[in-house]
Amino acid sequence: MALPLPPGLTHAEVAFLSEMEMVTVVPRQRLESIKLLSGATPPLRPPARADLPLWLALLLKKQRRANIVPPPWLHPASLHDLIHRETKSDPEKFSAPPPPRPARAHASAPGRSRPLYDGESVSFSPPFLHGCTAAAPAGYLPYHWLEVAETLLAHAADDMPAPAGEIRGLVRDLVEVRAAKMRAGIGRAGVLGDEDGGFLDLTGVGAIELAENRGFVLGVVDGVRRIGASAEASRREEEEAGGDGEEEDEDDEDMGI
Amino acid sequence: MGYYDVDEILTEAEKIPCTFNLTCPDLGYLDNNPSAPLKSGTEVSLPLWLAELLALPIPGSEADSAYATIELPPPLSQEVVQALKADPRAVPLRDQSAHFYSLATRMLDLFDEKELTAVLRKTFAVRAGEIALHARKGATGAGGGTAEDKASNLGVGGAGEEFLRGLDEWERRLFRKAHDGAKSGKEWMDGVKKH
Repeated sequence: MALPLPPGLTHAEVAFLSEMEMVTVVPRQRLESIKLLSGATPPLRPPARADLPLWLALLLKKQRRANIVPPPWLHPASLHDLIHRETKSDPEKFSAPPPPRPARAHASAPGRSRPLYDGESVSFSPPFLHGCTAAAPAGYLPYHWLEVAETLLAHAADDMPAPAGEIRGLVRDLVEVRAAKMRAGIGRAGVLGDEDGGFLDLTGVGAIELAENRGFVLGVVDGVRRIGASAEASRREEEEAGGDGEEEDEDDEDMGI
Repeated sequence: MGYYDVDEILTEAEKIPCTFNLTCPDLGYLDNNPSAPLKSGTEVSLPLWLAELLALPIPGSEADSAYATIELPPPLSQEVVQALKADPRAVPLRDQSAHFYSLATRMLDLFDEKELTAVLRKTFAVRAGEIALHARKGATGAGGGTAEDKASNLGVGGAGEEFLRGLDEWERRLFRKAHDGAKSGKEWMDGVKKH
């Protein structure tokens, strides 16, 4: 009660967490490996690219010791593609997060792909999931896409593949498209049938978007629940009288985001 | 939810139409006629907290007898429900009752109205989508948008204002949540450059 914040993370907290995403840098100076709690950074040898946590990359960028290679999904072509996909070809869903094992075409065997990080186990969260490095696949948005995009646009605008203003415009478009989709999904919350499991598929929604909509969506879900509470109670009574009191509906009712 | 919830208390003060089944002496003042007893069959509007108790079956008597029978209050009348069915966004719920949903849930506890429940759920969700739109427009347009942004701003002026005036208490709270979210999002986005 002491903390007057709503449940969930604030934008600042989410943005802080996004700084552990790995990004690719092109160093301008040599730097030996640094032993961090999250593991040792690779030693930097000037022309060779290396993956660093975003916060360290930003620090080096500000000191002009490195250039950041923007992730491929931040390229205007990829963003155009994403906007097209979200509005035209698949207007129901949010675009998917990157696949857990990024793959790259096999040079020697055309038509086949090989996993990009050979010999590593599959991992699902940053800093082990490389959703923002130069090796990330284009056309997929990682969990921290908006934070990383905004941060890179603000601090590494000169490293962008296109004028930062253009990219920023596309990112904003994408944000609006997805927010509209979220609202449309909310409108379906009320006609939730007994059979279908849900009304809004949140797969692929980014951390910032969740932080922004958490309070609202929870409010809607709670409101719908309260309106239907007495009908639900009587239905459950009937069911229990019928002999098979199913407990699974209770879980559905408590489902939050 | 709870004893100290002001909205809950105000909801309980909403008037419900009741028909007395018994002739009650000394209750004539409820019908503006203090000298005569309240006759059975008289229709009076009583606050929800009282009506609810009077509508309960009398303990120790046969099954469906109660002091009074209650009906759905005007905010939940057939006309309003039909209008909500036609277009949830076009009905100013606040004009019906400032605690529309709160009242509705209380009445649904007393009446078993499946259809009404379905209509209300749909209404709430559809209007919630609209509320989110207005909240977002209001939040992002307020702080230094271009003139073009402001011209297309649904949240301020025109039809938007009318819709927002028709929100009941639950919806206002929802609007606030959506607005807070959108606003902190905007603040964060503006602040990225500074760090």
